[in-house]
Amino acid sequence: MKTKLILTAITTLAAGALYASDVPPVGTAAPDFSAPDANGKTQSLSEYKGKYVVLEWFNPECPFVKKHYGSDNMQKLQAEYTGKGVVWLTIDSNAPGAEGNITADQAKKIMDSWKTKQTALVLDPDSKVAKLYGAKNTPNMVVIGPDGKIVYEGAIDSKATPNPADIPSSTNYVKAALDEALSGKPVSNAQTKPYGCSVKYKSS
Amino acid sequence: MRAILLCGAVRPMVISGMLPLRQLSIAVSLLALAHPLAAQNYQGKELVKASLVADTSAIVPGKPFTVGLLLRMAPGWHTYWKYSGDAGLPTEIKWNLPPGWKVSEIQWPIPLKTIDPGDILTYGYQDEVLLIQEISPPAKIDTSAVKLSAQADWLVCEKICIPGSANLALELPTSTLGEPKNTELLARYRRLLPQMFPDSKTATASWSRAGKDLDLKISGEQIANYKTLDFFPVPKGNTVVGHPSVESRTGNTISFKIPIESADESLSSMPGLIVFAQDENGSDRSAWELAGTQIAAATSIAQPSHGLATFLLFGFIGGFILNLMPCVLPVISLKIFGFIKHAGQDRRGIFRNGIAFIAGIFVWFIGLALLLIALKSAGHQITWAAQFTNPYFVLTLSVIVLVFALDLFGVFEITLPQALTHRMLDSADREGEAGSFFQGLFATALATPCTAPFLGTAIGFAFTQSSAVILLMFVAVAAGMSAPYFLLSAQPAWMKFLPQPGPWMVHVKQFMGFLLLATLLFLLYVLGAQRGLEGAIWASCFLLVIAIACWMKGAFIVPTASPFKRGFVLVVMLLLLLGSGFYFIGDKFQSSRIDIAQSASGGGWQAFTPERLQSERDQGHAVFVDFTAAWCLTCKFNEKAVLQNSEVRDAFQRHSVVKLKADWTNGDPVITKLLQQFGRPGVPLYVLYPGKSQEPIVFPELLTKNILLDKLETITVASR
Repeated sequence: MKTKLILTAITTLAAGALYASDVPPVGTAAPDFSAPDANGKTQSLSEYKGKYVVLEWFNPECPFVKKHYGSDNMQKLQAEYTGKGVVWLTIDSNAPGAEGNITADQAKKIMDSWKTKQTALVLDPDSKVAKLYGAKNTPNMVVIGPDGKIVYEGAIDSKATPNPADIPSSTNYVKAALDEALSGKPVSNAQTKPYGCSVKYKSS
Repeated sequence: MRAILLCGAVRPMVISGMLPLRQLSIAVSLLALAHPLAAQNYQGKELVKASLVADTSAIVPGKPFTVGLLLRMAPGWHTYWKYSGDAGLPTEIKWNLPPGWKVSEIQWPIPLKTIDPGDILTYGYQDEVLLIQEISPPAKIDTSAVKLSAQADWLVCEKICIPGSANLALELPTSTLGEPKNTELLARYRRLLPQMFPDSKTATASWSRAGKDLDLKISGEQIANYKTLDFFPVPKGNTVVGHPSVESRTGNTISFKIPIESADESLSSMPGLIVFAQDENGSDRSAWELAGTQIAAATSIAQPSHGLATFLLFGFIGGFILNLMPCVLPVISLKIFGFIKHAGQDRRGIFRNGIAFIAGIFVWFIGLALLLIALKSAGHQITWAAQFTNPYFVLTLSVIVLVFALDLFGVFEITLPQALTHRMLDSADREGEAGSFFQGLFATALATPCTAPFLGTAIGFAFTQSSAVILLMFVAVAAGMSAPYFLLSAQPAWMKFLPQPGPWMVHVKQFMGFLLLATLLFLLYVLGAQRGLEGAIWASCFLLVIAIACWMKGAFIVPTASPFKRGFVLVVMLLLLLGSGFYFIGDKFQSSRIDIAQSASGGGWQAFTPERLQSERDQGHAVFVDFTAAWCLTCKFNEKAVLQNSEVRDAFQRHSVVKLKADWTNGDPVITKLLQQFGRPGVPLYVLYPGKSQEPIVFPELLTKNILLDKLETITVASR
């Protein structure tokens, strides 16, 4: 497995780093990254060691993202868990020219008008962070433990639809994982299939 | 021009956040009134035109007809297959039918595979797609026309994705005759439907787990004819699947590697399509549909990486467990009794006897393996314990058991032919070895109907393999079965724990005779299930004559009798045997028949037919199928201990599960084929079909109440 990862890494580098690599397995160390946020501040995963961190892949034009922001579902989750000391990083990994790519100014406007409650909105226009996590969807959710290991990755909830009316009757996997992890229990549903739009990587 | 406008129009609008999010969340033209045709407009552009079509101009009561949801996408836009891949969402159709009407699952045309920047793989349709379903109207329709409505939901994507939805209706008159409609359109899409995976003569599929990857190997002559082959997975539940790739390809064989990214260690296969084409996504593409099975994780059977070594180990363990099976136990007691008798002898004698017994075991299994290989290459559908579906095999075994029992009772002594006996009389040891050898053969012959859990998996694996592997497999089973005897004969010191010989041995020997008679009762029960009460009685008549013949041998063919007298008795014996054989077996037994369907009824169980299963599933019922046979003791045990348990019966009733019994007593070829589809060489097999669109759940061969109850609970949750 390890050799495979290394090989993938080498070939990816050789090919001009254009492809999403494998999803790092649950229980392994979350790959570190540094990227600017909407306020121009550099966000690094390593600086949050000792805290729970949520990564949320974002695209303001994706109907599945809008499902959770339009219904206030995402904002509520962000407010609840940042209130409990969890770091919430929303990441936009869409390439320039593709739908959903945003500049720092646009990002600030969205955060303002959508009343988002995340710790920071990270801008990743060259999809570096997305590649590290093999992120293919928006939204794609990753929960990282205080020891820097991945405790959950996958969908935000159990109903793969763009319809906000489905939110009340679905199981929120991120909430369940955070609740279990924060109360010291193992996460019972640690990996699910993410659903949504694709992350818009740069075309080769 | 329009596309440019679209891109330009979307971004500023969303980012400025001028429109309320709630209205933005679904930008769909949802038609309030149901129409045969609906269009999805977005930013002034028509993205999808949806309509319903039927294959007939009128509905004939009781006669199923075909309907299709036709989606026409704007250039560059696509909708998705039932497994959309890394992104996207499958199209859904919810029918609103009057009571008594039924609709089948969607038949999905083979999709196109697309890879977008960032290695994002999706399965979908461009330009146009027809999703076909079958509607079964009731036998009586009161109105002169029927309006069937459906809500369709889809996701259409170009660079961005827009959800779409439409309420559609199809109004058709009722009549006694319908004119064919939309024939060209339906034919075009029916050509793109996957075919059932062919029978084992045309192609075979085998699964294995190598670490995190599933390996799928397909063999068949058709493979060589296509330039591109692919595997389109249909993962279930929360299984996260990576991108399948071709690992190796030579002539008639291709191997796919399917990475499993979720921690599903018990996953041993996955449904999907084997797609053939001359060019990737070519319009000539065709596919075989491979039904995956979900193994209920319960025992250590479900382990990752089932390599050859692991399976040989299973074979060994399975062989060992055969010693404990009720159908072998009496013979094992016999053998242990033999060890006690020999305990007083010298060590080498004991070892030689042990080895002879082991040789008997090996000869049986190797013989069986060679026979199976021969039959397999002759194209027969051969399965483990298949010989038990043949009443003549059971009859032969009955004769052997009876003769051994009579020997134990002391009615006569089994001796080798005179010429041999004379030579062997000098050395009691050698005669003992020959006896041990046949006991080995006999014990293994009796062991075959008991498909112990491990053995099932191991042999099942072996049957998809080459002849060499089958042979190895059987040798492993033989080694496992002989292991305890080898240990005891190599270390006779351990036999000191066994009691001293004495007159009690005669009583034990006679008692063993009764155990064999009990085995005979079981065999007669099997014959009864195969050939009815009459058949069992005619077989018993023949057995009675055999018993008389044995008694004659014991009473009259003794060394003190004159050669003439011995010869005379022998002739009478043979005449008796031949005469009764011709009359009771060749005539009476031969013509006895039983209606198998009758034997399946009782206790709410109904006879299985593939059509029955399909129709129950189409109606959305959960179905449990018990693949069983009268001669299968494991099956009988499971039925008594689990299936007839009151808690289980209640659970079946509570979840309104339809219970079907597939009786393999006579080797029904339809059931044989199904068993093979599940990778099982024989019965027992327990399968739960939870709902319409869910994969069947396969239970372990040793069924337990808890596994079954657990799984019954999950269905209800899933179907809610």
